[in-house]
Formats: sequence, structure tokens, C-alpha cells
Amino acid sequence: MTEQLRESLSALMDDEATELELHRVLGELESDAALRQTWVRYQLARSAMGGQPVSHARLDISRSVSAAIAAEAGAETSRSSLRERWVRPLASLAVAASVTAVVVLGGQQLYQAGSLEGQSAPVAASGVSAVGFVNSLGAVPMRASYGAQAVPQLEPAARTAYRELARQRMYQYMQEHAEHAALNSPQGLIPFARVPQIEE
Amino acid sequence: MKCVARQLASSVVCGLLFWAGGVAAQGPVCSEADAEALQWLARTVKSRSEVAYQGVVTLQRGDDMQVVQVARSLADGYSSEHLTRLTGQGAQVVRPHHPLNCTHPGEQLLTLGDRVEAGDCGLARYYRFEVGPGERIAGRQSVKLEIQPRDMYRYGFLLELDQDTALMLRASTLGRGGKILERFQFADLSYDEPLEPRSGMDTVHPAAHPHPDDPTAGARLSVPWIVSWLPNGFTATDAADPEGPRRTYTDGLAVFSVFLEQLPRELRPGEGLARLGSSLSYTRGMHLADQPVLVTVIGEVPVNTARMVADSIRVAR
Repeated sequence: MTEQLRESLSALMDDEATELELHRVLGELESDAALRQTWVRYQLARSAMGGQPVSHARLDISRSVSAAIAAEAGAETSRSSLRERWVRPLASLAVAASVTAVVVLGGQQLYQAGSLEGQSAPVAASGVSAVGFVNSLGAVPMRASYGAQAVPQLEPAARTAYRELARQRMYQYMQEHAEHAALNSPQGLIPFARVPQIEE
Repeated sequence: MKCVARQLASSVVCGLLFWAGGVAAQGPVCSEADAEALQWLARTVKSRSEVAYQGVVTLQRGDDMQVVQVARSLADGYSSEHLTRLTGQGAQVVRPHHPLNCTHPGEQLLTLGDRVEAGDCGLARYYRFEVGPGERIAGRQSVKLEIQPRDMYRYGFLLELDQDTALMLRASTLGRGGKILERFQFADLSYDEPLEPRSGMDTVHPAAHPHPDDPTAGARLSVPWIVSWLPNGFTATDAADPEGPRRTYTDGLAVFSVFLEQLPRELRPGEGLARLGSSLSYTRGMHLADQPVLVTVIGEVPVNTARMVADSIRVAR
């Protein structure tokens, strides 16, 4: 797997890939097992961020994505030129959105199947006080009474929780990061000005 | 301070790193503009041990603007610096008594100006440079360095340096499409003898001085870990304790740190993101040696860098 492909893959995750990158990645996904593996890891990481779990066990990322793009492209060519001028930006967005949707779904198929690197089915975040965001998960301790239902219900909450976690960690770690940035970047002590709350 | 000996040791280490990188590169790529810019960057680093100043700096990130006072004085082979917040929190950071001959890996990456002719383009392998006349900033004429990344793993910069002293007068961090993520600039600057640090601050923090070759003592994890992938050109800022909770890396211009926490219980795998100007906090719940861990990447890099670094964390063998 080349650096460039990994770049494109990551860009695709952030909806920042160009169509060229998109087609390259899709072409490679068919034949490159390492790339597929990386893709799946990214998707695992992202799976808490939305979408609903799917029960099909089969993973067919590239084919469904290609189909989604073909459908979008077909829709686009049939438009009149005036309309196209107005619709094109929206259409590109739609392509990006549908690709992401299909791909995320693909990742979750694997996730639900629990077949990657021996990871078990998703664990409802129960009593995660160690990382300090129990409250933002809302009704977390539902695992006993809700059983398997708990996971889908946690989706939006987990997404919010992870965002909150990232924010908390920025507060927690920014000063330690600044200690090193101040000695290893050309702005002198300025990295400390980025610290939300300077501690003694 | 034992920094003289330390510095020699770490120079050797860095020299090896550069040599290894030189083998991998496909011949010199430095243009005249690159060479000129690298010399300016080297001068900026040198100015740290040559130029005393005091001034007022603004730091702008989106709608948020902070004002800080900064000063540096030089005496007897040591520098003293302080930064005082003039808005918001009443806090001050001081770095008294830093040996002038103590250079850290990030500075060493920037002081390649005199090696360019030997075909070592240093940072020009990762950034494209343009040099031109800059604006007047804080009453000083500046030289402008436009710095574009050659890959997707770092941001671009627009640096404006004092034409006479090479002090950085303004620095803008540029994201995709040239969007300004953060900008700091001097509003007022004087090269007279600097002020003493203000007294009566609520918080005074003495800046840490981690040695490049000495792991910082502190909390330890039960699993030794490594970051198995770094964007080209990044190097560790200090020797890492394999079981320490932090690693920091720099390419000379950008810096990011990786923090690892072991969790007592399962956490649903996932990722989260928070941004403040050019700073990013990327948090990822994952497994390492079958144990749940939380990885956080903090720094001034794009999210794809953070994600790929987090993805590459492995148990050290």
C-alpha cells in the first residue's frame, strides 16, 4: 500500500477526497488486502460516530460505493446545463455523502460480525468513569435491562461522548504538549498561549 | 545544567537521522527559494541566542483573540524568557536560565541553512518555500516566507521575520485552501533591555526543560508501546520511556504529542475530535495487547495525521 493511497483513504474518511482520489482508492480496494484492512480499522474507529448497525455479514465496500457513484453520475449527466450549474456543487456533496454512508455501513457490517482482530461485539460504555464522561453518555447503565438494544440507542450519545472526551483531553494535555512545542518549534514560549488554563 | 554534553550526544543522534533520511530521498530537491528560506529559518533559531526583546503579541484563533506580553533577555551564556497573559487568565510562564548552547531537536531541524549547499535540503523535502518582501509589523520591516506542505500530514505557514534580526514577527498557520487557522503577531516590539517578569500573577509556571536524551520521570504504563508510523521528516523531541504515557514529535515547524491511557474497563471503540485554532485533540478508544486504551493526539497537525498515528500504535517487542 503506498503512502498516497493511505492519504487518499484518510481524506475519504473526512469527505475531503477529490473524485480522482476516490476512484483510485476504489480501484485499489478491490485488489489490495492491506488497504482494505486499514480501511476497516479506520471504519472501526469511526463506527461510534453515527450510522446504524447492519446485520448482513458480507462486506462489499467497493461494489456498493461504485454503484452509488454510478447512480449519482447518471443523475448528473441527464441534467440541463443551466440546472447543472446550480446543482453540480450539491451533487458532488451528495456523492461524498453517499460514499461515506455506504462505506461506513460496510465497516459496521464487519464490526457487528466481530470478525476483526478478535474484537468482540461492541461493548456498551458502562461505568466509564475512568475517562470521565459518564454524564454525557446519558442513560448509560442500561445494559442489563436493554440487552442488545443498548448499542444502537447509544450511537448518537457515543458520538457526543467522544467529542466531549477529545475536548477534555485537550484541556488535560495541552500544557504538557506546550512544554515540548516551546522548545521544538520556532515561536518560543507562544505555544503556552494555546493552553486553555495554565497550571503551576 | 548538563546541557552541553547532552547537546553533543543528541547532535550525533540527529546526524544519524538526517543521514538515513538523505539516503531515502531521491536526490536534492532544493530550489534557490528553498535554500534562501532555510537560511532565514536558521537565522531565526540563531536569533534566540543573540537578540533580546520585549513586546506585546496577539494570538488569534477564529473569533478568539488573546494578548500576551513576551520578553527575552540574555546574560552570561543563558537566556531568560517569560510570557504573561494580558487577557483572560492571570498567568505567566517563565523559563529562566536556559543555556544558549542547548539546542533541541526541533531547532536542529531548522538550522540546516549551512548544509544546503551539500545537497541536504532538510525541511525542503517536506515543504515548498517562497521568499518575498513582507509588510511592516510592529514598526519593523519584514521578510515573508510562504511555506506549503508537500504532503497532507502538516499545515502550511506564512512566517514574517524581522529583516534585521530574523525574529519571527508574525506567524500564520494555514489549513486547506489557505484558510488561516491561527495567527500570532507582534503588536509592539522593542529591542531594548527587557522588562522583569510582572509580579502579582495568580499563576506562575516555570516551563519544563525536558532533555532530549533523558526520559522524563513520571507515570508509567504496564505495556511498552511504540508509534510505528510517522509522517516523513518527524523526529522525537526527547528520548521516550517505552512505558511512559507520552511521545512528542516535530518536523521543526509542526509539533504533535501522543498520549496513551490504560482504561480499567471496556470502552466502546470510536474516535472524537476537538479543535481550537490550529490545535487538534483527536481521541481514540481502541485495544492494545487486548487491553482497552485511550489514545489522544494533541498538536498542530491535520486530523488525518493524528488518525494515522493513532492507528499505528503497537506493543513494543
